[in-house]
Amino acid sequence: MAAFKFLTCGKCLLIAAAISIIGGLAFLYSGLYPIGADVPHNRLTYWLLETLRERSVARAASDIKVPSDLNAPERLLAGGADYNDMCAGCHLKPGKTESDFTLGLYPTPPNLTLAGDEHGHDHTGNTENDDEASKRQFWIVKHGIKASGMPAWGPGHDDERIWNMVAFLKRLPELSPDQYQILTARGQDSEGHGH
Amino acid sequence: MNMKTLATIIVFSTLGIAFSAQAHEPKEHMKDAEKPDCTAMKNMDHSKMDMNDPVMQAMMQQCMKDMHQDNQASENANQEDGVQKEHTANDESIEHKH
Repeated sequence: MAAFKFLTCGKCLLIAAAISIIGGLAFLYSGLYPIGADVPHNRLTYWLLETLRERSVARAASDIKVPSDLNAPERLLAGGADYNDMCAGCHLKPGKTESDFTLGLYPTPPNLTLAGDEHGHDHTGNTENDDEASKRQFWIVKHGIKASGMPAWGPGHDDERIWNMVAFLKRLPELSPDQYQILTARGQDSEGHGH
Repeated sequence: MNMKTLATIIVFSTLGIAFSAQAHEPKEHMKDAEKPDCTAMKNMDHSKMDMNDPVMQAMMQQCMKDMHQDNQASENANQEDGVQKEHTANDESIEHKH
């Protein structure tokens, strides 16, 4: 009797799974999901994707070692120039609050001129959190994030150059427009700030 | 499609990929690079600057040449002023003697 009940229950589960798979595939192929960047995800999809992203980045970045000289002024100059050329269009610079990219991309790229807690990541304060934030930023700059508009800069840039950008990102929220202009200008010496 | 056309397509697409890979070399950005605007730095109250702050050190590095050139220019201007004043004084004394 118990075995019969178990079989019936197993059958029910199989049928439910089959219905779910067929229903999912039907939805997938129907084209009903609005994929345009100007229509936000529903809350459930957003939560799923955000949780997936955050957990994946945290796991992948956990073994990264942060260089001890991340505060060196040379890193700020090298990273600042690269940030201005490669990132400022989406992640803004002091004195700017929006660009065509921030208006059009979905999810909206975080405004990195704001402190971490202001753009949704609580990474200011103690050194441990600071290190975690640096690892996270390094990993994201190097590997990018799928289907978000964030490219992987790793294939064209070595680790040192990416750490320079991370060094600059740490100080970016404190910079005034004048300071930003001075730190990010490449025009002073003929070699630029690249290593 | 003969071999020549195929080879041309492969060569051009390879070159295209190679050039796009170099696009983020710092030297590539130098063509339209802007110079640091150090006027803000000159107007800052230097006594209130924290010289141990990496941001301040980086700004000093960027503006060192600029500020040095300005100092030299003002020194040269002072020297020229001095020479001119000397000349004027000499001229006046010559005129007095006459």
